[in-house]
Amino acid sequence: MPIDGDSLRDRWLDGGVAEDLRILNTQAPRARKTLAALLREDTPFVSCQDGGEHHFRKSELLRLASMLEEWEREELLLPILIEVSGESGQMTVRTKTGVEEKVLGTLLGMPVDREGDEIYLSRAQLPAIRRLLKSSTQYLFLI
Amino acid sequence: MGAKIQVTRPTKIELARLKRRFRLATRIQKIMKDRLSILVMEFLETVKECAVVKERLVNEFNEAYRALSVTAGYLGSENLEKALFALEMPLKMTGRTRNVAGVRIPVFDVEKDTGVAARTAVRPGMTAIEEDTLSVARRCLESIIELAELENSLELLGAEINKVKRINNALEYNVIPALHGTIRYLNMKFEERDREEGARLKYVKLLIEKREAYAY
Repeated sequence: MPIDGDSLRDRWLDGGVAEDLRILNTQAPRARKTLAALLREDTPFVSCQDGGEHHFRKSELLRLASMLEEWEREELLLPILIEVSGESGQMTVRTKTGVEEKVLGTLLGMPVDREGDEIYLSRAQLPAIRRLLKSSTQYLFLI
Repeated sequence: MGAKIQVTRPTKIELARLKRRFRLATRIQKIMKDRLSILVMEFLETVKECAVVKERLVNEFNEAYRALSVTAGYLGSENLEKALFALEMPLKMTGRTRNVAGVRIPVFDVEKDTGVAARTAVRPGMTAIEEDTLSVARRCLESIIELAELENSLELLGAEINKVKRINNALEYNVIPALHGTIRYLNMKFEERDREEGARLKYVKLLIEKREAYAY
């Protein structure tokens, strides 16, 4: 990104920003696992993009399992990714089967705003969801 | 005009590059702001949780102190000391990490299966008062582990908030204004060039007209 004649300060700033962008989505999972598969594991975890591991709390998985049917446990992919878009400033959760909608609706105690494959979350709803699903949700920053 | 980036060649290509960089910097700054607000939200939630756990821990410590006093009174301090030396409290704890917006946060899971753990801790011949003290102490230990996790999370989140804030401020008050200033400077430079070109053309036109007039 640096152009010819950039000062040392500019190069340093560019380097800092590039580094921060690099680590922005390292927490994103390489591949998500279904709730049923995670429940079968002794230490439920998924591998992250940076090679690390993201571990789930068993109590959260059991809570999720208690609110879902057997077939829904096979459909729900964890962690649930909350997409944060800098452009629109909205937070969305993608859903194909609608299981995520059921989970979020049950946790919030109110129906969630869904349009097609996307569930829109407001800033006020986010802390409530994160409080209950600390390890089962993750942020994904879209540039 | 604010600070500007040094540009060795004031060309249109450089201007296009700078404009692209400006757009990118603006988008990144928006993302950074979002990340900052998310981290602050997580931090505040953790602070609230921390306060609740601390309050609970103080109550449990009070309860434990009371239970220990009663046990000491019942057994005598010498016997209590002996019992404490012989005491084993099995506790299964697993420590792992989870990721919150790029911050690795510890997760300590204490096995809640009090049945097996409590059974192995209780010795034959142990009085009900001793058992009660043991269970209160166990609860205290669990709360301490929970508090340790939260305090550590707070520390890590706080450090990350500071870092993101610095980057956000650098973008907002340094990089973006500098890019904006440079783009403005280059635009002005090109306008000036155009004006000079216009004036030169007019002068050439005038010279040609004069030459033509002398020719006649």
